[in-house]
Amino acid sequence: MAFDPSSLRHLFPILAQSAYDHPLTYLDNAATTQKPLPVLDAIQDYYRNFNANVHRGAHFLSDRATNRFEQAREIVASFINAPEQSHVIWTKGATEAINTVAFGLEHILESGDEILITSLEHHANLVPWQQLAFRTGARLRILPLTSNGEWEPEFSHYFTDRTRIFAATQISNAIGASTPLQTMLDHAKQQGAFTLVDGAQAVAHYPVDVQTLNCDFYVFSGHKMYGPTGIGVLYGKSHALEVLMPYQTGGEMVRHVSYQATEFNVLPYRLEAGTPHIEGVIGLATACDFLNAQDRLALLAWEQSLAAHAYARLHKEGSIEIYSPEKNTTLVSLSVPNIHLLDLNTYLDSQGVAVRAGSHCAHPLMAQLGVAGTLRASFACYNTMEEANRFCDVLLDAIDLLNDE
Amino acid sequence: MTDSLEQQKPVNIKAQLKNCRSKEETFKTLVTLSKTQPRLCAEDKTEDNKVKGCESAVWLIIVEKDGLRHFKADSDAKLMRGVLVAILSLVEGKTLADIQQMDLRAELAELNLSSYLTSSRNNGVLAILKKVKS
Ligand SMILES: Cc1ncc(COP(=O)(O)O)c(C=O)c1O
Repeated sequence: MAFDPSSLRHLFPILAQSAYDHPLTYLDNAATTQKPLPVLDAIQDYYRNFNANVHRGAHFLSDRATNRFEQAREIVASFINAPEQSHVIWTKGATEAINTVAFGLEHILESGDEILITSLEHHANLVPWQQLAFRTGARLRILPLTSNGEWEPEFSHYFTDRTRIFAATQISNAIGASTPLQTMLDHAKQQGAFTLVDGAQAVAHYPVDVQTLNCDFYVFSGHKMYGPTGIGVLYGKSHALEVLMPYQTGGEMVRHVSYQATEFNVLPYRLEAGTPHIEGVIGLATACDFLNAQDRLALLAWEQSLAAHAYARLHKEGSIEIYSPEKNTTLVSLSVPNIHLLDLNTYLDSQGVAVRAGSHCAHPLMAQLGVAGTLRASFACYNTMEEANRFCDVLLDAIDLLNDE
Repeated sequence: MTDSLEQQKPVNIKAQLKNCRSKEETFKTLVTLSKTQPRLCAEDKTEDNKVKGCESAVWLIIVEKDGLRHFKADSDAKLMRGVLVAILSLVEGKTLADIQQMDLRAELAELNLSSYLTSSRNNGVLAILKKVKS
């Protein structure tokens, strides 16, 4: 039986409002998803009933907070099938997680070493590596898409014996395409490179198994998977996390400090300086519980059917260029020649349809596609077929209004 | 629609925008107004004439004659051209001192354009207002 979004939409009361007298149609889920009531309640519950700093005070509230905090680590670890909870490091998001690795690995790089990324990367998985290359004399190399948007059939030569780090996104935020991740990771492993997977766009849609992927690091943000903002995860294999020099130092991450020296704490604390984002951690674990309680594959199939439906309707219009795949993606990314994206966006907004127009933090990819940006409608489990149709209807109206002919 | 392609009188522009009762009407009015503005030629679209900080490309040229300011403007986005028509209808042909006295944000809000002053388009229009007064 097909998934029915009304089975969970009531958990997202924010969606029930209107925007300028139109029903709010929220299709900017790749930027951030809405949060279900259990997540909101968990955050309230923390502040109302057990707010205290963790790992510090030996008192009633602190014990409760610490227990829930460490329980959250277990929940998140099992959500991505990490073998041990100490492999889960809290960060403020995917961006901070990537920076933690990029700074932490600086000491292993030598001039002439190579850092390999793909041409689908978000700036968050590009700029930290580029800056790392500048600092160390390493070379940033790009595994490109070909001009027709495919991967080269034979890309193994990009992985060389100088490749020390390979970092790739699982799914492109800008065009919704997936990378042939497993093959790439295998090539990288054969060369002995450290591997990092940017799962920011994947976790909300796909069940993730870091052990099957067999990557050294996996990063994501809570706010793109129905959790709060300001919390994210750096998963790492223990030997890989051990290699990282702490990117931030201070309280919590130390075992003993004197004026002469500091002995760092064990993992995961060694990489978590300062008071953590406790309510974020608790909210994120609740978001994992929310997703675990769903039939994940049914949700994914639904989200993909919405995107495929929009694709099919818009593809028929000769005037629209679509950059996202026809199938197996949860978003549509497009442009309309001779019409400015901001004009389209403003009309959609005037009708209550929330999408994203711009370069999606992927300037090099936009340059390769030959556009300044795209208009992206990205779907989540609570979106309905009416909303997918409304997006298409309003977009086509906008094109009519804005066309000069 | 025929007269919409001619240069419109400022009072007209103001009345049309003021009468809009929804975001959609404002949108359509801005599209109509955008067509009343002569486009800039390629030579005028220089880096110097570009207003920095806009999401769309905006060019604004100010010419002073007998102490009065005259404006020419263009953008690659249609709505921005409409907004430029509205802004310039407020300041065209005035002295710099007069323009500096004006509360342009308030006047644009009265024309139902406040949402073009907020959100991320904010900086763009504010940068235009700053240049108009500089
Ligand atoms: C693919 C991808 N990577 C990384 C990020 C960065 O995530 P955050 O801004 O939450 O750190 C994003 C967010 O847009 C993304 O889509």
